[in-house]
Amino acid sequence: MRQEMARWGMVIDLDKCVGCQACTIACKEENNIPHGSPQEQKRRTEIYWNKVIAVSNGKYPTVSIDFIPMPCMHCNNAPCVTVCPAKATYRREDGIIMQDFRRCIGCKYCIVACPYGARNFNYKEPEEEEYHRPDPPPSRSQRGSWPFPHRVHGVVEKCTFCFHRIDQAIKEGRKVGDEVVPACVEACPTKARTFGDLDDPNSQVSQLLASRGWTRLREGMGTEPKVFYLPK
Amino acid sequence: MTRRTFLKLSALAGAAFAAARIIKHLAIRSTIPVQASGENTINDKWVATSCLNCPTRCATRVRVADGKAVKITGNPLSQVSEGENCPRAHIGLQVLYDPERINSPLKRTNPAKGRTIDPKWVPVSWEQALSEVCDRLKLLRERHQPQKLLLLRGLNTISDEDMICRFADAYGTPNVISADALENEAEKSGGWMADGNYIHSAYDLARTNYILAFGASILESDTPLARNLRMWGKIRRERPNRARVVVIDPRYSVTAAKADRWIPINPGTDGALAMAIANVIISERLYDAKFIRNWTSGFDKYKELTLNYYSPERVGVITGIHANTIREIAREFAVTRPAIAWRGRGATSWPKGSYNSYAIFCLNALVGSIDVPGGVIYQEKPEYRSMPKPVEDSIAREGKAKPRLDLRKTSRFPAAEVVTNQVADSILNDSPYPVEVAIGFNSNFNMSAPGTWRWDGALEKVPYYVHIAPFVSEMAEYADIILPACTFLEEWSYDHTLPGSGCAEVRIKQPVVEPLGDVKCITDIVFEITRRLGGTVAQSFTPLGKDTEGFVRYRTKTLIPWEEFREKGVWVGAAYQYYKYDRIFNTPSKKFEFYSSNLETRLKETGNGVHDRLACLPHHEDVEFQGERDEYPLVLLTYQPLLNVNNGSQNYPWAQEIFLVMHGVGWTNFAEINSRTAEALGIRDGNMVWLESPFGRIKVRARVFHGIHPQAVSIASGQGHYADGRWQKGVGVNPNQIIGVDYDHISGQAVFLNTRVKVYKA
Repeated sequence: MRQEMARWGMVIDLDKCVGCQACTIACKEENNIPHGSPQEQKRRTEIYWNKVIAVSNGKYPTVSIDFIPMPCMHCNNAPCVTVCPAKATYRREDGIIMQDFRRCIGCKYCIVACPYGARNFNYKEPEEEEYHRPDPPPSRSQRGSWPFPHRVHGVVEKCTFCFHRIDQAIKEGRKVGDEVVPACVEACPTKARTFGDLDDPNSQVSQLLASRGWTRLREGMGTEPKVFYLPK
Repeated sequence: MTRRTFLKLSALAGAAFAAARIIKHLAIRSTIPVQASGENTINDKWVATSCLNCPTRCATRVRVADGKAVKITGNPLSQVSEGENCPRAHIGLQVLYDPERINSPLKRTNPAKGRTIDPKWVPVSWEQALSEVCDRLKLLRERHQPQKLLLLRGLNTISDEDMICRFADAYGTPNVISADALENEAEKSGGWMADGNYIHSAYDLARTNYILAFGASILESDTPLARNLRMWGKIRRERPNRARVVVIDPRYSVTAAKADRWIPINPGTDGALAMAIANVIISERLYDAKFIRNWTSGFDKYKELTLNYYSPERVGVITGIHANTIREIAREFAVTRPAIAWRGRGATSWPKGSYNSYAIFCLNALVGSIDVPGGVIYQEKPEYRSMPKPVEDSIAREGKAKPRLDLRKTSRFPAAEVVTNQVADSILNDSPYPVEVAIGFNSNFNMSAPGTWRWDGALEKVPYYVHIAPFVSEMAEYADIILPACTFLEEWSYDHTLPGSGCAEVRIKQPVVEPLGDVKCITDIVFEITRRLGGTVAQSFTPLGKDTEGFVRYRTKTLIPWEEFREKGVWVGAAYQYYKYDRIFNTPSKKFEFYSSNLETRLKETGNGVHDRLACLPHHEDVEFQGERDEYPLVLLTYQPLLNVNNGSQNYPWAQEIFLVMHGVGWTNFAEINSRTAEALGIRDGNMVWLESPFGRIKVRARVFHGIHPQAVSIASGQGHYADGRWQKGVGVNPNQIIGVDYDHISGQAVFLNTRVKVYKA
């Protein structure tokens, strides 16, 4: 077992990210997140735990568009945790902000409180078979237990940094950040994403942060996100 | 709530779940024998296979849990993409579990055919379907007219393609038509004019220091895509020296967005720019004199042409790029070696696309970037075990000697390897002869070819059309019989990538799950048809094995032991060797040619003659547009976004909902109009507008965009499906419906970009 609790964080290199959205799809694939439909997109009721947004600046011909992948920032001072009346959103000791579907009362305060739009409300009825896939087996040698076989209607959902992979890796003594990473990090073909322990100076994330200037989104709000961006 | 309570709750829920499993298990225990491996053992395995959602065919690994494919990742043994996949690979799961797949052969009961006519499918047995198809095929051979069979190939595995081509050979038809001339044949012919190799160019991306991309959608659609993405990360941030990338494109593509510099260019003038860059490099003596002296021919003619006609000032007027900018990028390109000049579809899908391609490709030779680390490289091909020659009878020989429907290598298309789009007109005109039976293998040309209405007409006219694919596409709507094929996750196959990594690489396809429904692999279907046809056709196939698995084993036997191949999923050839100048130039001079003797020979052979002194030199000609400028002021530019799945369907919610990353939306496509142009036309962002060309009009939502040339309007391809498919039908529009028919005549490439349109509010 580890002696000290890690503090998990993610570094996303915006110079490498090409907006291919492999992360978005891999996240849905891994976490059984329901896909949307044209109607749901119009009503803005789709669910993404991770989404790539495009931010446009300037005018022709000096236009620029930046692609920014947006997982949950897993803030140190997470507004969602503060506002949740049901204590359904909580912070694990390793800093991952979790959502307990069983406690969530669906009030959506956290969605309003989150400055990053990282939270989604599940409007889908569970009997809508489309997004169900049969529960894979409980004993998974490599990837940790897959936590969401059956979805819950009427609760808020969010990115978990693929905590099931992390927990399984720690149990097996595998190195998180090198051998085991969240699904979005694993799927990134440009290797724009890096995951690891921010408190470990030798981790890839710490080394990257030491090597270049970095930025976090909406720093002024004092949320202290644990997702860091390396600018272009 | 503390973490502890959460864990407790989870544990409780887990226990309840486990209990439910056990109870269920006990209940069925009496009827189903218990597996020897123990009651809690559940199958959880990874299967090495490969993708087929685009021609890159990346090696993948698929996780299968309880007989269900649940996850796709890359295969680290693959060299092409260093084990990475693009997002299309993940969509494989939705290809496999597409709710609209066909589960059994279907027969048309409504004799009337047309775009809006219901075929009234009824399911039939394989026996009935195949015997009906084979009766037709037998009849043609009995009448000594095997050439009247037309085989159309969409995106298939290499092993299926090998089978299809061999079938055509044994049967006796010269008409095997691939979709290649809807992609980028002009790129290939431009390369062939210079070095004699009619291939998609490969680039040594990891070692390059400069990329000059002409209309190349490196990060969206250029193949091998997964490799391009992986190498992008590498050359930008994983080396001490960051490669510089400059993108020339009238559209602000994703590649342009990620490049160091985007230079918008007047549509269709890339060839002129390439010549002006050559002008600067030559006049300032920045070229690789040693390479030019030793390994090129025709340099003097080329030099004279560039210096006399392509000054940056003159070309500045043509391209809309300032002369100083041209000088800047020319110098950068020449001194930042190794540098690559990359010619993409945006630069070559034009009426004189081969010359654009040739002009751009020559820049690589000017700076010595031919077969050097960081330059253009020459893909090695895997040596599959060779097949014995097909057994031909006189019927087959005579059939194959007939002229081809696509008129390739005739005076009309002198250097073409295939002219996909010509076939529709040949069918409509019964020229050179009528088609009696057509078989489409995963093809969907009445969606993907310009002038879609001609394909609709042609498919209506063909007396008997058989469609082979896993799902009903627009082309399948015209079929008399549909034979349901496996998806690539259920079949045996071997595949290799398009040129990219240099070294040869073969990937296996093996079933990750049992085929869903009563479906067959294409190779099995071909085997079955040949057995039913009997005679020499059957004899040609008996040595190759009994079924698909046998055929794949046969062909890969010389490369790698079977079990190892299944386990690893890839076979990789020897490391790439550079500087093979004595071997790579397939030209009469055995050198890189700035004056193309290959083309000269071909023009003479096909009776065209060489009347123009420019005919065999790279040069620029003004584009002949379809539609008068006065009436149709804007050029319609189509592009393929990354999430346009290349298999002929778009019925995949994961791809649909994030289809246009630039605009942050999915489930649609837009007419992207420059903000100034839109203002002049009184069009606001989000308005519904008509895009009207001389050939028709489509209604689409306008997106006012700063990333498009003011004289152009761009639109993403891949939408506008009208065949069944709940996640694709009625989503967006298909721009090919209003694009006219034109060709780059040298290569037979269909031109997608020279149609003019007008835009007005709907």
